[in-house]
Amino acid sequence: MRACLIPLLFAGCLGLTVRAAEGVRIIVRTTLDGKPVADAVVSATPLDHPVPTPGPGNTAEIEQKNQEFSPYVTVIQVGGKVIFPNHDTVQHHIYSLSKPKRFEIPLYQAGASESVVFDRPGIVAIGCNIHDWMVAYIAVVPTPFFAKTDDTGAATLPSLSPGRYRLEIWHPRAAAPVVQEISSAPENATVLEVKVALKPDKRIRRAPTGKGTDY
Amino acid sequence: MKPGRLQFRRFRTRLVCLLLGLVAAMLGTVYLLISSANERNAIEHIDQNLKIGARLFQKNLDERIDYLSGSAKVMSNDYQIRKLIMQDPLDRETLRSNLDSYADRLRFNAKALPPVITLFSPEREILALSIRNQRLDREHLGPFQDLIRLAADADMEKASGYSYLGGKLHVLVVVPLYAPYPNIAGWFGLAYPIDQAFADSIKNTTLLELTFASNAAEPDHRILSSTLPPRTAHEILALRPTGNNAAGTSQIVLLQGEPYVTLFQPLDLLEEAPATIALQRSLHTELAPARALEKTVLGISLAALAAAALAAVWIARGVSQPLLQLAAHTKVVATGDYTKPITLPRTDEFGQLATAFNQMTAGLAERDRVRDLLGKVVSPEIATQLLRSDLQLGGEEREVTILFCDLRNFTGMSEQMNPIDVLSLLNRYLDRMSTIIERHGGVIDKYIGDAIMALFGAPVSDPAAPGKAIAAAREMARALQGLNREFATEGRPTLAFGIGINTARVVAGNMGSRTRLNYTVIGDGVNLASRLESLTKDPAYDTPIIISEATLRSLLNPPLVRELGEVQVKGKAAAVKIYALGAKGESQPPYPVS
Ligand SMILES: [Cu+2]
Repeated sequence: MRACLIPLLFAGCLGLTVRAAEGVRIIVRTTLDGKPVADAVVSATPLDHPVPTPGPGNTAEIEQKNQEFSPYVTVIQVGGKVIFPNHDTVQHHIYSLSKPKRFEIPLYQAGASESVVFDRPGIVAIGCNIHDWMVAYIAVVPTPFFAKTDDTGAATLPSLSPGRYRLEIWHPRAAAPVVQEISSAPENATVLEVKVALKPDKRIRRAPTGKGTDY
Repeated sequence: MKPGRLQFRRFRTRLVCLLLGLVAAMLGTVYLLISSANERNAIEHIDQNLKIGARLFQKNLDERIDYLSGSAKVMSNDYQIRKLIMQDPLDRETLRSNLDSYADRLRFNAKALPPVITLFSPEREILALSIRNQRLDREHLGPFQDLIRLAADADMEKASGYSYLGGKLHVLVVVPLYAPYPNIAGWFGLAYPIDQAFADSIKNTTLLELTFASNAAEPDHRILSSTLPPRTAHEILALRPTGNNAAGTSQIVLLQGEPYVTLFQPLDLLEEAPATIALQRSLHTELAPARALEKTVLGISLAALAAAALAAVWIARGVSQPLLQLAAHTKVVATGDYTKPITLPRTDEFGQLATAFNQMTAGLAERDRVRDLLGKVVSPEIATQLLRSDLQLGGEEREVTILFCDLRNFTGMSEQMNPIDVLSLLNRYLDRMSTIIERHGGVIDKYIGDAIMALFGAPVSDPAAPGKAIAAAREMARALQGLNREFATEGRPTLAFGIGINTARVVAGNMGSRTRLNYTVIGDGVNLASRLESLTKDPAYDTPIIISEATLRSLLNPPLVRELGEVQVKGKAAAVKIYALGAKGESQPPYPVS
């Protein structure tokens, strides 16, 4: 996947305002049939004031278990660290050829744990040289205001101070990220519904079927 | 009958020609049918082969595409490729050498060139290019980029097509480099040349000629590769000035004067006008075994024709031989030889004919014998008359000169001689006289004892008959003198005769009963002639030959005569004048008239 967050396309409803008091709730659905979309990354980048620097909790973990990455999608703020613990009985050799971060962690034993810091924004696709079917995505976003949709397609952003934000919704199967501008205000509606066009799921199926993340 | 060019006088020739003609027509028809069926079969067979060949050709290309894309997939999962791509900055030289080693691994077969292998970034920027043994520049790689755009837009896991790379026809495949699947970290582009070696390999499996030509509309319309000799292949360009062909229909074209069954198919190219594929097979090559068979058939046909000729001659001989034999025998019979019967020892129609022929010959011989005998009994003229016409009773009235000749005192003389001497003397005399009469055209009507009755102008009319009778009488008189001289020397008694000649209309014809006929004349004229002969006995007349006035008048050149007076004739009012023949010596009595 190409770096999807680079083109700043402000599509549609400019000046859409949301009530920021108890966080913004976003529902992501497919454009085709309106089904909820899980594992969609929702991020809001402030346009009127500087982006807050990440705190010490800017870390995430992607474990390798049952010869799969888990979770499938991970979101961190730029500069964040991702830990890759191997909870399998086999070795893995994870790598990424994505532009924001090219790296590899050569064969490492079960029980070992490695970490990588992601210092540029963008989507990083991670694979394993040993197991072709293993795939995971890390969305490195330039903001601490982000969330990931659950199985109902819902994600809740932390409460936003009033002002304009660039709202970006990305998904591994999205043809292109959905970008729109929102305004945060205390009196406005808290639920925002966004539709994304998804491409067919093209992940390698394992036989027997492994732990898939179907919608 | 004029013998025409195709008309044969001989039955045998006609029969042989007829039989040979029939057999030749039959064999010729069979030969032509076989020949045309062979050709039809050959064309159909080639047509089927061409269609199979076209499928095989496509299958071969598909296999190569699958092989390339499968290989590219394995390549993209190779660890070291990922590791090289991961490096920043990119080590292009190492990457290219890595692709070179892939290219060597990916030869389709031992003879084939290694494929062209290229690596592009997701943005279609060339990263590395392996061009083992091929002249190719970076600016020739446009078709790969077109194909990548096509594949990326349609989200395809592989895309293939045909295009020119550096002017040479290639089959191209692009495959994404997934890292991991389905994230595209780059594109592999692979290409095999569709070259002479490729065409040869298709020919090896299909025995078909394969030619690739660029589009006719291109300024550089050319043969890209061909299994045919260059000059022959070049003629294909002229054959297909336009690219419109009814798909899947083969046609017969002439290349260097040789017929080829040809299937033209377009080969669609990326972003360019389609090239032409010509699949062909020589009709001569295909027909070669059939032609050998046809030669055998021809040989057998000629042998059969020769056998038929022999059989025809044999049959014709069987028919014509007895016919010729019969014809030859007919000639023998025509000359009057009835002695030898024809012998045909066969029971068929010819045998029956021979039997009939022999019966006919026997009949003819019998008739001839009858004629011979008849000629002796009656005069030849009467015999002819009798044999010629149907024998009928009754007769016709005609003018006849009748001559009566009688010996003087023969009865008295014969009493003094033995009968054998008398008969001998008489026969000698009668024979001498009869010969003279017949020589002068007279007919001996009958002998009455020692008398002769002869007719002139019957049965065949003759205006000169009276003259002939006179001449005969004179010669008879002279002959009697000669005969008497012979008799005198022999010591035999001499003879004297009288002759009466009259010309009159009498009834002439066959008279008698149904079973026995006699040609004669009757009438007063006959009696007069007899009476004139009797008158010669009268010494007063002093002549051995007396003719009537009627005879004298009928003569064309009346001789000198002496009138003797008139005699009364029974049944006639007027007396008849009689004359002694003029004394030119001959009319003088050579003997004393008693
Ligand atoms: Cu692994």
